[in-house]
Amino acid sequence: MDAIIRLEKVNKWFGPLHVLKEIDLAVAPGEVLVIIGPSGSGKSTLIRTINRLEPIQQGRIVVDGVELGDDQRSIEAIRREVGMVFQQFNLFPHMTILENVILAPTRVRRVPREQAIQKAMELLERVGIADQAHKYPAQLSGGQQQRAAIVRALAMEPKIMLFDEPTSALDPEMVGEVLDVMRGLARSGMTMLVVTHEMGFARDVADRVIFMDEGRIVEEGTPEAIFSRPQHERTRSFLHRILHH
Amino acid sequence: MRGPRFLPGGVLRRLRWILVAALLVLAGVAAWFLFFWALSVGVAGYLKAVQFTPAKVAFYADSIRKGAEVTLKLTVISSTAGLVLGLLAGISKLSRNPLFRLPATFYVWLVRGTPLLVQILFAYNGLPYLLGPLWDRLQPLGVPPIQDVLTDYWAAFIALSFNVGAYNAEVIRAGILAIPKGQWEAAQSLGLSQAQVMRHVVVPQAIRIVVPPLVNNVVALLKDSSLAYTIGLFELVMAGQRIISATFRPVPVYLAVAGVYLLLTTVMTFFTNWLERRLQLRGA
Ligand SMILES: Nc1ncnc2c1ncn2[C@@H]1O[C@H](COP(=O)(O)OP(=O)(O)OP(=O)(O)O)[C@@H](O)[C@H]1O
Ligand SMILES: [Mg+2]
Repeated sequence: MDAIIRLEKVNKWFGPLHVLKEIDLAVAPGEVLVIIGPSGSGKSTLIRTINRLEPIQQGRIVVDGVELGDDQRSIEAIRREVGMVFQQFNLFPHMTILENVILAPTRVRRVPREQAIQKAMELLERVGIADQAHKYPAQLSGGQQQRAAIVRALAMEPKIMLFDEPTSALDPEMVGEVLDVMRGLARSGMTMLVVTHEMGFARDVADRVIFMDEGRIVEEGTPEAIFSRPQHERTRSFLHRILHH
Repeated sequence: MRGPRFLPGGVLRRLRWILVAALLVLAGVAAWFLFFWALSVGVAGYLKAVQFTPAKVAFYADSIRKGAEVTLKLTVISSTAGLVLGLLAGISKLSRNPLFRLPATFYVWLVRGTPLLVQILFAYNGLPYLLGPLWDRLQPLGVPPIQDVLTDYWAAFIALSFNVGAYNAEVIRAGILAIPKGQWEAAQSLGLSQAQVMRHVVVPQAIRIVVPPLVNNVVALLKDSSLAYTIGLFELVMAGQRIISATFRPVPVYLAVAGVYLLLTTVMTFFTNWLERRLQLRGA
């Protein structure tokens, strides 16, 4: 297997707090990886190291053949290939949805404006919010905003997509529309790392599920293995808590 | 709206901006002349009404107009320079690189911790001594002597620019810090460079936050520019003083001077309120 993401013995600290401990992880192209675990276990930190929103103190991270280091240019090169979707959407409030989407393609990839707009409209159409293109983020519902944020990331034509609890800030009735977009993306062959508490989604879509606790990968396997036959006590008690709520 | 086929959209947009800018400058110049013409007419009417010697009224009114023009001109160029200084210092203060951060921090500390009066006196009386030796070396290049360059006007300009620049720096720093971390992260995760994140995401949002306090600084600057009176600059206060020395009528003259300041600051406040509303209309 030729991994598109490879982490080797990654360690990270926030001051004295050891948040990632000896993480080894390889992700194959097209793989959908779901990361679960209790609050504070380091899930966000883990995926944020992949596009270098968080630097690491020890270990190696290789993304799409490029080793992440301190060099700003190589960091930017990797970020072009790695899209990220945040819990809080983080759309740019002073730009319309369309402007949000074409900003990076026109400024970073130097795609001609007309072409970027055309591509943006296609993507917005695909997630069902083309009619919202000329509105500002604050005028959209949470679910629409998150779909716009996904489109914004996709407009850069990334090879990898990172999702950090993309549905946790949404009203329950809007979770489905965002998960549907993510399902479609997974089917299209996108490499995805998804931190989520949506166990239904994990069961349906994930190729592999990782359970993290206290900065370590405690257990990993197919959804079937993790959900039906968890090997570790901590995984069992976490799943028990989350599935019976 | 679509332009002729042979012009790419970018060029057309730029042309439109240039046109709009040119029209704005033209309107500004016209407004300037109209304003000061109206001012001298108004002041002349007032002086006549409070029974100044009719033969002298036009001369005094013109004197006040000249003083007001110097005051406003000085305010406009100092606040423009002060905006650039404030941007540089405000952003530098946030830099991780101590080569930027430390000088900016020192500058703001120094300026905010000392009286503007001292800064103005220093720029006028001290700077020529400080820069003299260096300046003299430039003389062979045909540079005029420093006393001719650092006139009362330009000394006041330097002191006021640096002064308001330091206060602007604090406003701009706070404005940038007010932009949520998620905005930076979203922009960075799209592959934008640091400069692009600043230009397209942080600065446009920070502007909405910083415009009102920045205009406050300009209003304060307009009033503080009266301190340049102490180095002999002929501005609004000096114009008033001259008339008082000639007429011995301080009350109506000070009232006129204060009235002109009030007029200028009120116009500015109206302008900011309008600008604030416009900025809020677009987007969240
Ligand atoms: N910028 C930071 N500075 C200091 N500590 C941090 C920072 N970010 C996260 N932490 C700490 O690191 C640990 C891991 O945080 P992380 O956000 O990765 O957890 P998580 O698994 O995503 O949790 P959650 O489910 O609550 O999002 C937590 O103890 C958190 O408090
Ligand atoms: Mg998290």
